[in-house]
Amino acid sequence: MTDLISGENFLERPRWTCALGGALAAAGNLPDTVPILHAGPGCAGNFAWTNNGAAGLAVTGPCLGLSVPATNLQESEVVFGGIERLREEILETIEIMEGGLYFIITGCLPEVIGDDVSSLATELNSTKHPVVLASTPGFKGDSYLGYGEVLKTLVKDVVRKGTKKNPKLVNVWGVPPSFDPFWRGNLLGIRELVGLLGYEANVLFGPEANLNTIKSAAGAKKNIVVSGLYGQEAAELFSELHGVDYVEAPLPFGAAASERFLEILGQALKVPKKTLKEAVSGARERRYSYLEPLIDVYNDMEAQRHVLVVGDANYALSLADFFSEDLGWVPELVVVTNSLAKAEKEKLLAFHKKTGGQKISRLIFENRAHAIREKALEVWNGNGKKYYDSKTPIFVAGSSLERSLASELGAGHLSLCYPVSNRAILNRGFTGHFGGLTLMEDLVSVSVAGR
Amino acid sequence: MPLMDSKIPPIREHRHPETALAHGGPMCSQKKGKSICPILAQADRSFTQGSICPLLPGLGIMLSLPDTLVLLHGAVGCGSCAHGNNVNIRVGNSVRGRPSGDALWLSSALDEINVINGGDEKLARALVEADKLYHPKVIIVVSGCLPGVIGDDIDAVSAKVQDEVSAKILSVHCEGFKSRFMATAYDVVYHALGRGLMPEPSEVKTKDQKRINVMNVGSMGLGDEKELGRLIGEIGLEANFFPVFAHPESLRKAASASLSVSICPTHDDYFLSHLEEKYSIPYIIRHMPIGIKNTSRWLEGVGEAMGLASEAKKVARAEEKELGEALKGYKEFFKGKRAFLSAGEYRSLATASLLKELGFQIVAIRSFHYDGFADVEIEKLTKDSSEEIVFNVANVQPFEEANLLKRLKPDIFLGHWHGNSTAARLGIPTQVIYNSGYGYMGYQGAFDLARRIERRLKHPFFYKRLETEGRLSYRKSWYAKDPFSKIRSYEAL
Repeated sequence: MTDLISGENFLERPRWTCALGGALAAAGNLPDTVPILHAGPGCAGNFAWTNNGAAGLAVTGPCLGLSVPATNLQESEVVFGGIERLREEILETIEIMEGGLYFIITGCLPEVIGDDVSSLATELNSTKHPVVLASTPGFKGDSYLGYGEVLKTLVKDVVRKGTKKNPKLVNVWGVPPSFDPFWRGNLLGIRELVGLLGYEANVLFGPEANLNTIKSAAGAKKNIVVSGLYGQEAAELFSELHGVDYVEAPLPFGAAASERFLEILGQALKVPKKTLKEAVSGARERRYSYLEPLIDVYNDMEAQRHVLVVGDANYALSLADFFSEDLGWVPELVVVTNSLAKAEKEKLLAFHKKTGGQKISRLIFENRAHAIREKALEVWNGNGKKYYDSKTPIFVAGSSLERSLASELGAGHLSLCYPVSNRAILNRGFTGHFGGLTLMEDLVSVSVAGR
Repeated sequence: MPLMDSKIPPIREHRHPETALAHGGPMCSQKKGKSICPILAQADRSFTQGSICPLLPGLGIMLSLPDTLVLLHGAVGCGSCAHGNNVNIRVGNSVRGRPSGDALWLSSALDEINVINGGDEKLARALVEADKLYHPKVIIVVSGCLPGVIGDDIDAVSAKVQDEVSAKILSVHCEGFKSRFMATAYDVVYHALGRGLMPEPSEVKTKDQKRINVMNVGSMGLGDEKELGRLIGEIGLEANFFPVFAHPESLRKAASASLSVSICPTHDDYFLSHLEEKYSIPYIIRHMPIGIKNTSRWLEGVGEAMGLASEAKKVARAEEKELGEALKGYKEFFKGKRAFLSAGEYRSLATASLLKELGFQIVAIRSFHYDGFADVEIEKLTKDSSEEIVFNVANVQPFEEANLLKRLKPDIFLGHWHGNSTAARLGIPTQVIYNSGYGYMGYQGAFDLARRIERRLKHPFFYKRLETEGRLSYRKSWYAKDPFSKIRSYEAL
């Protein structure tokens, strides 16, 4: 027996759920779509309570929570196969529930027992009631993988080939519903940014999305992926199947990142230089006039902080950039919490560099609270010296799980990354110039809460 | 052989073959198999919505135990509801004056390679590593669906590494596909606690004549415990609450109590018989102390069993009188208003009794399952009553609920956590039927619930807006159909 403390034998309080959970959050937030779970009997309830404690209190949609059609597989199906039960469930779902798309997602059980769901989906698919499938057993990977699988199904089976060109449409990839707890607001902010260039964003998920726009996404001018890891495979596939290529930009939190986003997308769309310049300067001026009232307090309260950032691949890097560039705060330690292979880590860092991200002095990949604490104590440790740079005051921008560490460090804390258990999140987001102002309000408000 | 001696406890449907999941119709007596509308255990549905497996309520108890680490053995998502449970744990610890940190749970995060090669070795390594890293007193290994299918043996692994591990290792079987009933959760958790943390009968020297065990449930908060503890105290006894938030010491103390009393029969029957079998502790398993009469019955039952019948009666009468005075205005306001309830079997039925006492007319009760424990509660609601109550047995299944709500149009809906949104979307004011931050039990709970429901009904404006704006995904044609048309009732074999 090994006595090695490796971190490879378990995950501590995993900061995501499984592929099925990621797929359900995605499929259940596609417009006009009814997800159908082919899985064990507790998966839906499990995800409802997961969201309650991790996704900014956002538990349910009309086809989410405990309302999602589901086969609730039992021992008899595990022994004899679950495909007939699924057939019945799909036909009944179509009879009872209204939708423009029926989206089957599969969990661990049918995949282990070998149900041929793919043939069934093909058989039941029709123009009137489109039925598609993403295979997302929990043992295959995490929620981000599940999100990616749903995207790939969209690209393969929902987006129509050879649709009429829509030269003003841009498809947006890389913001996973729920696992980006502020996904709705973030997509809203991105939509506004794309709008500044005179284009329309097809954001795929949530209140601003539309199923017909998704179906005709092949007519778009360009795809943009706002993540170094998520949505990339789907965008590749899109380019292969529909001949529309993609550009990458950071998840644009605040002014500086938004300007990079506009530059990258504007160049890709061949937006005239003058238009681009006007878009940027217009947004800048507007932002400034709203920012102005904070200037006094930023000075007088010394509202500058040393920051510990703990977040997923999207948030950790975008927050770090926001702190450095927009707020003048100092990211001392940035922790990326995804479990990643070496190649993925390298890819993420290359993306950050390529899309104009700021240099980060200390960046680690870690998701165990005790290990994050140890690293933080290396940064914030005076070793008993009288004169040293204490790197204070400290602020912890992480998930709800960083609260005890923040309190140990005597730091301010705000839950920004999954899991967010202690905030209600509706339309709040941090993308775009205005999103950056919202984030400033949130951060500075925490710092002055005792006034 | 006592059931506790086997590694794995029997599932609910084996111990209680009458347990049912799908039924709909007018509520009527289920007495002694002579029912004119029998509830059939074999019935199921041709359309189902996602539900809850034993893992969720099981984790609610396990994560609340101090100095305990929960190691989820399964795919990474299995038990991620711990994030939701954790909210309750943090608050529950905080109100009990304990450090309000996060519960500690790990996942063995089985991957494709583990599915092919088995996860036993990974689990063994995880146990040893977790013990070294976190130093818990107890590690509970919980098996999700995957280990049950690929043939991992969590009991054998736990036994094998126990010598290398300082913590006491318990194993809990929560393979969701093995039981249709989430109530199996209580049995599997009690099974582990009973086998792993209870003393040998020979270690129990003397019985404490004043102490009784009160089995709490994850859905009740400290407020309810205080109210029941107060009533027990009024008749000169002391309550030992467990298992939720109970320190291992409370479990050891349980073995020397003079009586065990259940709050929720369907929750406790497995463990109560164990305590009687092993430690000769008599028990009471009837009535939930929700509702005025129910509370009195519950308290008087304790009094009778402990030779304090007249004391209990005296306390009950005095409490009833005082509460009756306080409720007068509320009863006037509630009179004739129509209530619809949906939750766990005992909770929904007992709360319906309370609402009846408050003046409501009960139009429908949905119960997450049915078993024989419900019969006495059904009697209370149907005996000497001409009102027709729709009784729907469903492991949530909001599509039936939406159909019923459109027909019955109640004034208030009382539902389980994450089970209120269908009614809310239809514009019906809702009152969550349990929330550990508020009182529901005893006399105090009856008053407090009345007060909150009155507020809901007098200020329904959040719901009124939803009435025009809310959306559900059911086709119009579904609402025209019989709400129970997707239930398949097989004749008993």
